[in-house]
Amino acid sequence: MITVDNLTVRFSGSTAVDGVSFEVAEGESFGLVGESGSGKSTILRTMVGLNRHWGGNIAINGMDARVTKQRDLARTVQMVFQDPYGSLHPRYTIGQQIAEPMIINKLADPVGRTAELLELIGLGAKFQFRFPHELSGGQRQRVAIARALSLSPRILLLDEPTSALDVSIQAEILNLLNRLRKELGLTFVIVSHDLAVISYMCERLMVMRNAREVETLTREQLRARDVQDAYSRELLAAS
Amino acid sequence: MTLLNTPTLDPKAAIRAARWKEFRSFSRRFLRNPLGVVGLVIVIVLIFVAAFAPWIATHDPYLPTLTARLAAPSAEWWFGADELGRDIFSRLVHGSRLTLLIVALVIVTSAPVGLIIGAVAGTRGGWIDAIFMRVTDVFLAIPKLLLALAFVAALGPGIVNAALAITLTAWPPYARLARAEALTVRNSDYVNAVRLAGASEFRIIFFHVIPMCLSSVIVRMTFDMAGIILTAAGLGFIGLGAQPPLPEWGAMISTGRKFIFDQWWVATVPGIAIFTVSLGFNLLGDALRDLLDPHLRQRN
Amino acid sequence: MTANLVEIENLKVSFRNDEGGWNEAVRGVSFSLGREKLGIVGESGSGKSLTGRSLLGVLPSYARISVDKLSFDGIDLKTASPKLRRSLRGGRMGMILQDPKYSLNPVMNVGQQIIEAIRIGDRKLSGADARRQALASLEAVHIRDPDRVMGLYPHELSGGMGQRVMIAMMVVREPDLLIADEPTSALDVTVRTQVLSIMDELVTRRGMGLIFISHDLNLVSKFCDRVIVMYAGHIVETLDAKNLHAAQHPYTQGLLARLPSIDGSLEPLPVLTREAAWLEAAP
Repeated sequence: MITVDNLTVRFSGSTAVDGVSFEVAEGESFGLVGESGSGKSTILRTMVGLNRHWGGNIAINGMDARVTKQRDLARTVQMVFQDPYGSLHPRYTIGQQIAEPMIINKLADPVGRTAELLELIGLGAKFQFRFPHELSGGQRQRVAIARALSLSPRILLLDEPTSALDVSIQAEILNLLNRLRKELGLTFVIVSHDLAVISYMCERLMVMRNAREVETLTREQLRARDVQDAYSRELLAAS
Repeated sequence: MTLLNTPTLDPKAAIRAARWKEFRSFSRRFLRNPLGVVGLVIVIVLIFVAAFAPWIATHDPYLPTLTARLAAPSAEWWFGADELGRDIFSRLVHGSRLTLLIVALVIVTSAPVGLIIGAVAGTRGGWIDAIFMRVTDVFLAIPKLLLALAFVAALGPGIVNAALAITLTAWPPYARLARAEALTVRNSDYVNAVRLAGASEFRIIFFHVIPMCLSSVIVRMTFDMAGIILTAAGLGFIGLGAQPPLPEWGAMISTGRKFIFDQWWVATVPGIAIFTVSLGFNLLGDALRDLLDPHLRQRN
Repeated sequence: MTANLVEIENLKVSFRNDEGGWNEAVRGVSFSLGREKLGIVGESGSGKSLTGRSLLGVLPSYARISVDKLSFDGIDLKTASPKLRRSLRGGRMGMILQDPKYSLNPVMNVGQQIIEAIRIGDRKLSGADARRQALASLEAVHIRDPDRVMGLYPHELSGGMGQRVMIAMMVVREPDLLIADEPTSALDVTVRTQVLSIMDELVTRRGMGLIFISHDLNLVSKFCDRVIVMYAGHIVETLDAKNLHAAQHPYTQGLLARLPSIDGSLEPLPVLTREAAWLEAAP
């Protein structure tokens, strides 16, 4: 489904991503683990089209990300951002924000589908008319997920989806994500600094450090502590 | 099959209801600021007086009564009479219309133009930003009164030309403000999210960036109104704005200069009116800024 | 009889709401603290941060506070003059906030800020002495190259380093009480352990009292001696950290319930269903 080959991203002098390669099969959930600054978020943003200066190859569902237009890319891959307090526009209602991608892409019945999506993420249609500042962090993150799903993408990229939430809310969001993945047959790429979250959510994961990939493991390997690299072992010990 | 759980409410009405609720909460916070309320009252009185001027005025503002020249304030001439025997109160009341007209003309043209130029420059960046901002710098550098003089020399004096002159120098600050907000907003996650959906630059600028610039622009507008009133009065004072016999407040002060020591009311009363209205707009602007400026946002 | 370091009785903090009434954010909180590590746990909006700030006296001016008893080391803070409270702050009570990016002054380098903190306590200290103390404080938080770090600006520091600088600043005047408000929430997992062990070392070695405010019960339970659980502005349970498994209140039990763990089950995580009854204070 996703093939990233020798991806390199440089920002004014410093290298954010250095020759990283990985593959994600359809329906799989793949994790990118590492500390702040390791480059994992940059990889997501490049995959989804927010960053247009990169070297290497990215293929998403057969499309070459370099030449594909944003509108076409948008129907296949979408992103959920880290900060629920910054990912919703303060001036529009929830319903307007979920419906907007559908309106931009001229899909049929945005209002009905918005209500459906709100039910799907567990909030209910009456939230359509609320403003973001009336919602809690956990609720906002749900709305962000609904908005990402409005174009029915096959792939969801999640950038630290629960890091900004209270511990007591994290479980709800993680459960929701797993349920959606099963129900809708989605492919996930999840970024986190929390190895426990990645291990719970992903079948395979890649450890990153200083813009480079360190090691790629399966969940089983992690559980069996079958870890080769010293840095990965350090991360494991700290979790 | 209704998918909405509120079968009696259609989406547009519900969104209107949600926005109305926001507005009510905003008004309640506004009303807790006493000086802001004073400012608002002054502005409302100005608008009211301008709207109902013919009914509020006691005399015809243009009719000279040579027997009552420079009459002192009394029961008949509430604020006295000027050198041609015209009732100052009535002239003041009718002059409020001119004041509001100039303010409206300038604001309605300068703010949107500045807002759009700044928002586009800030969101796009690159050479568009550079060109727009250099043009803005050029207009910022022009002194208002000099430009007005130039205009008058070219096109003749009058209210519309005065308003035009003021507009040309009033839009740059809005561009600067809007650009500053746009620079912050364009990298926010909510704008990125809508980019991901395939939104065009036009949509991003007009529906996502500009709404976030509105708060600063509105606050600036209220302060600007005070400034425009003063500038227009200044132009009227030197004879470049409204021409006689129009009862423009600045022009009234100008003619009243000659009598300032013995018949003080001819110059002072319009002066107090300008002061009060400017103060009102400033107080209103202060209160709005306390409420709208995201940097100062506090619950009080 | 050793006086408790901190005694709070019936603390209430309220804010004006949009309708003109008052919202009580902290509703009658009482606890005492000796020279021990106390954790205050709750989710966003439970009032835990406000409780810490009330003790320090740094609530925003538009908050209304009422308390029956508020004392620090025998000093009655309710009746204390603003000058006394100011001298206690920083000198005998320190606070560490969540994100060093926002709590360090961006236009002063690290050395200047720590020296400023030192100088507030002792105006007569010479420049050289103050600098020496500052270097010593950076070493105490295990910063390997204190000379170089002194010259860095906050934006040049990593999260963990910034938090250690914050701790150094607060601890340099040897306070009796340290209030840490979500000190590790903004940090990566590997750095978290480092920062916590530094805090542990300092607190134990200098015999300070510590109030550790967090939304993470598991973290707090590993670190603190006693834990207070807050919900909706009041305390629902107080227990010793080692007795956490015997928690009575369903909210505490819910908080304890498994977060994802590497060796844990892959079943849906147990979710906290909040009862309306928890909004009422326990008798």
